[in-house]
Amino acid sequence: MQEQLSTARLIVDFFVHCYRISGRLDVRKRKLADQLNDRTTAFLQLEDVYVSNIEHPAHITASHPASVLRKQNVTAVVVARQDDGLAREHTYGSYLGAYLRKVFITIPFFEIQGDLRLSGRLDLRAVLATGTDRFVPILDGRMTSSAHSDIVFTGGAILVNRDHVGAFWAVEEE
Amino acid sequence: MAKILVIDDNADLLETIRQILALRGAHQVVVSAEGADGLAKATADPPDLAIVDVMMPGVSGYEVCRQLRANPRTASVPIIIFTARGQPVDRQAAMDVGADDYMAKPVPMKELLERVNHLLAKRAAETAHVLAGMVVLLSLRGGVGVTTLAVNLAATLARARDGTACLVDLCPSSGHVALHLGLRPEPNWSDVVKIGVPDAEFVEALLLQHASGLRVLASPIFPVVGQGLERTVVEAMLRVLRQRFAAVVVDAPSVLDEATMAALGVATVVGLVVTPEAPAIQTAVGTLRVLEQWSDKFRIILNQITPGAKLPTEVIERTLKRLLLGTIPFDPAQARALAHGAPLALHSPTSPLAQAVRGLVQET
Repeated sequence: MQEQLSTARLIVDFFVHCYRISGRLDVRKRKLADQLNDRTTAFLQLEDVYVSNIEHPAHITASHPASVLRKQNVTAVVVARQDDGLAREHTYGSYLGAYLRKVFITIPFFEIQGDLRLSGRLDLRAVLATGTDRFVPILDGRMTSSAHSDIVFTGGAILVNRDHVGAFWAVEEE
Repeated sequence: MAKILVIDDNADLLETIRQILALRGAHQVVVSAEGADGLAKATADPPDLAIVDVMMPGVSGYEVCRQLRANPRTASVPIIIFTARGQPVDRQAAMDVGADDYMAKPVPMKELLERVNHLLAKRAAETAHVLAGMVVLLSLRGGVGVTTLAVNLAATLARARDGTACLVDLCPSSGHVALHLGLRPEPNWSDVVKIGVPDAEFVEALLLQHASGLRVLASPIFPVVGQGLERTVVEAMLRVLRQRFAAVVVDAPSVLDEATMAALGVATVVGLVVTPEAPAIQTAVGTLRVLEQWSDKFRIILNQITPGAKLPTEVIERTLKRLLLGTIPFDPAQARALAHGAPLALHSPTSPLAQAVRGLVQET
């Protein structure tokens, strides 16, 4: 007997401009982070989509059986389980010897705090400018509305689109 | 075995939950794949508990929850909401529409079963205390038979509990509890006014003894001029009585004075007595609004003090947004009982009124 809903379809919160878009993503073949960072396609296909304005993020204003998101417009993605927010290559030991740094990031409408996983010295500019991955995973993340501090989203991982990052700093001194 | 209604548009999940609740929980499970159909099923035959998914096409789970709470037939049904959206704001939204519990998907089935059983047990415990413990009977519209009901209820409880019941008359304007029982109201609580907060010994000395074993704290035969009992005094007296007796019934006056507010505060349950007429219902609506902080304690009792129904029960329940706990039928023998100081519950136990009052107690 099935004890828990299958995780083949991951339920994810996407933030696009001032909208919260919750939907199911098929992750049977590719993980969420791999799909987001795949530069060969600009879109992401979702099923059972529910839309809210971030001013009233629990109030569902629309629902659709399917939707497509333009990845470059997604500012952040919140997933409950940390593992669901990591790329496949990052979940099998490649982070041996890695450490976590607390960071603070601003994106449109939100500020994000959480842990950035690093294997070397923190170079803030390099995190945002080098490599090909558009989405940076912030672990154990907490995303707070800039305008309404009582609106908070938490997740095992928050994938932040570095193209939308306004400010970025390490919380602790090195 | 409880009857559980599960509303979710995900057929696979619906079947999984049905199997878990039926096979492991031994519950009767009714399923529905959409909000409107689920609401219709809930209204037609109210379940003991409902599990509602938020995200459904058509009527959302939040709307289902709102409508269940607004309907007197389903207003008290425990509701578990679950949703793919598992953020704190989503939990708060679920609680705001009246859900009792909230679970984020993926739903661990073992935990779901535990929460279902916990809510069912909690509800059973709550209903088990209907008209038990400290029962305050109240109506802010006078003349609806609160005292008659209080006397018969207390007498019924005294008989059921070998006399370990007490009846308190808080009316400052010549209360009639003693008259109903054929007792002379001496001593009465006017003596407490002189001394302030009483101790247990003092309260015990004020109690009258009825032949049935029922103890009575009577009100003074002459109306109290000026301020009556202070809140702290009433609270102290009722606490003493609650410790001493298994059941305490309070006949509250038709005004929200210090004494009434104190009694409502310490009450286990409040029986709001209404008659089937528009002024009484209007007063009850206002009472429930003003005393909203004790909303959970209130149970509605319909007292038909004259022959022939005026307002249908359904209309009263819909107006008050609550189900009736019970209906006390018109009983012509009540007038004779009052004249003889012999409550029907004791001297005519097969009378319609006595049977109906017993029904209220048997809810326990």
